[in-house]
This record gives sequence, structure tokens and C-alpha cells, in this order.
Amino acid sequence: MSIVYWLTSSGLEKNMNRFLLLLFLLAIASCSPGNSSGDSVKYQQYFVQGEQLYNTHCSNCHQKSGKGLGLLYPPLDESDYMTNNLSSVICLIKYGKSGELIVNGKQYNQVMPGVPILTDLEIAEIATYIYNSWTHDEGLIEVAEVTKVLQQCEGED
Amino acid sequence: MSRLILLVIVVGLISGCEKKVKPLPIFGQREVVNGDTVYHHIAKYQFVDQDSAIITNDTFKDQIYVADFFFTSCRTICPIMKTQMLRVYESTAELPDVKLLSHTIDPEYDTVALLHDFARKLGVSSDRWHFVTGAKDSIYKIAQTSYFATAMEDKSEPDGFIHSGAFLLIDKQQRLRGKYDGTKEEDVNRLLVDIKRLRKEYE
Repeated sequence: MSIVYWLTSSGLEKNMNRFLLLLFLLAIASCSPGNSSGDSVKYQQYFVQGEQLYNTHCSNCHQKSGKGLGLLYPPLDESDYMTNNLSSVICLIKYGKSGELIVNGKQYNQVMPGVPILTDLEIAEIATYIYNSWTHDEGLIEVAEVTKVLQQCEGED
Repeated sequence: MSRLILLVIVVGLISGCEKKVKPLPIFGQREVVNGDTVYHHIAKYQFVDQDSAIITNDTFKDQIYVADFFFTSCRTICPIMKTQMLRVYESTAELPDVKLLSHTIDPEYDTVALLHDFARKLGVSSDRWHFVTGAKDSIYKIAQTSYFATAMEDKSEPDGFIHSGAFLLIDKQQRLRGKYDGTKEEDVNRLLVDIKRLRKEYE
């Protein structure tokens, strides 16, 4: 089946698009002045992988646009909570979160299920994606940092 | 010769376009009773909405409505469905004869209070969008036999239920006139067009 898929034009086209996207991103990476880590290719890899993981695990509720949904799912595109709580965000991606949460002055209280199967690297990729999309511009989130934070998550297991 | 054929085709296409827009299909079985065609229609039901109001077929008398099946704790397709249904809600705001009806398929968990809270958080009004609960068997039965939508418990599923993400378009005679994938933006665009087409039938 997969061979047929690869041979079909849409399959080829899709891969071509991906390839072009990668080329494009590499081109941007090679031109941009570079972020704090000074490792732009790594940043772009994290960002692209992070976007895919975001679309698999997060965007159902938080939307591809990061706008969330009403007072059910808080927004990520503009979020003082995200800006001020990087460690908590890393923990809640893996372990979930329940109870009251204030984002941009609004109260949210919907249980967010965690995704415990995510590896530290995958969480670093998701974090890099969401912290550099929409209004955010935090640069690369290193996997070493994620690993350190995850060892200190409190009562969220 | 080939030019002539081309001309015939082009003329055929143009005249085809000028025809009246085809009415929406009427889903389900039909039978002829005393010379009249009787169509499949939504069976009698009675549910309770987020304001504890009793919702029956009469609630949608002379109304077009869009129905779906969901539950509030669902984290797979329901958030997408609700995002899309919210689009339907917003784009039909000016249409007094179009309403929305969302049935929970997890009535044990989704109480009236919880549905009330859910609707409030979604920021929608109960006079246009009813979130209803009721006897589980009645909800599953009406989903399957009236709306031709899948809804049942299945403990092996991640959230404990299997259900389709379908949006169902019901006309003023309580007949099923369209079925759309509520998780796909393009399909919901089709629904928005069909709502307009359906309203034209009553003009």
C-alpha cells in the first residue's frame, strides 16, 4: 500500500512540499542572525518537529492558530501565563493540569490531560514551537533544560 | 466535426448551469401512503437543555436546525467539532429560523449544570444553541435511527465512547437533509452553503 502511496502524484507532491519547506527553512536559518544559542539549524529542526507534535497533541483544543476556544481552552498565541511560567508549561505538557488557571486575567478551569509518552526531546521541540510562534520569540528551548525542569515538577504525576 | 461536438458540449454546459439549483436530498427511506410520499423524519424525543428547559420536536417547529453528538470531557474530535459548530453559530447569528442542537452521549457525567457551564464558557446563548442531556438509551437510539449518526459506549476507546463527528442538517419538516464532517472546515463550509439553500426552499 505504502509503495502505491509513494508512487502517486499526491504522495510525491507532499514530499516535494516538505522538501521545499525544509529548504526554505534552512535558507532562513542560514540568513537569520541566529538566536541566543547560536545554533539556528537545530532551532529550525526543533521548530518543525515541534509544529508536527503540536498539531498531533495540542491543536485539537488550543487550535492551530493558538487562539484556544472560549473560556474552555486558554489561548497560547498571547498568553501571560506562558511568558511567566516556562517551567510549569513544560511540566503540564507531560503531566497535564487541573484546577483554576488564570490566563490574561481570565479564569479557566478545564482539566488538561498530559501526554506522558512524550520524550524530553519532544517536549523541548513542542516548547520551542509554541514559544516562537504567534507573539512569542523566546528562541530555542534546550532539551537539557527540559530534562532539568521535568525532574522538579511538583505533584503533577 | 470535432468543433461541432465541442459547441454542443459548451452549449449543454451553459444551459445546464442556468437550471434551477437542485434542492437538497432527503435522506432515509420513503414510502407512499394514500398517494402521498412519506419521508424519513426525526422520531419523537424529549431532552433537557443547559437551562433545564424541556426540549422536544416542538422546540424546533418551523425551524431549521443543525444537530451533533459530543461529550464535554472528550479530547479527541469534540474540541474541533465545537470550534466548527461555533463557526456555524456565529455565521447564522442573523438567521432567526436556524438553531443548533448538541446532544451529550455521556449523560451520566454531563449534567445540566455541567452543560450550562460548558455553554457559558463557549460564550453561546441557549435560545440559539441547546446542549441537551437525557436518558442514555434514548440519545443513542435517536442518534442511530433518526440522525444516522454513530454514538455508543466503547470502553476500549481512549475516551470510552465511539461517535461520529457528523453535523446533521434538519429541515422544518424534521427531515434529514444533509450530513457533514464536523471536524473538517471545508465540509462545514458546505453546510453553511446548504443552510442558505435550504432556507430558500421556504421563501
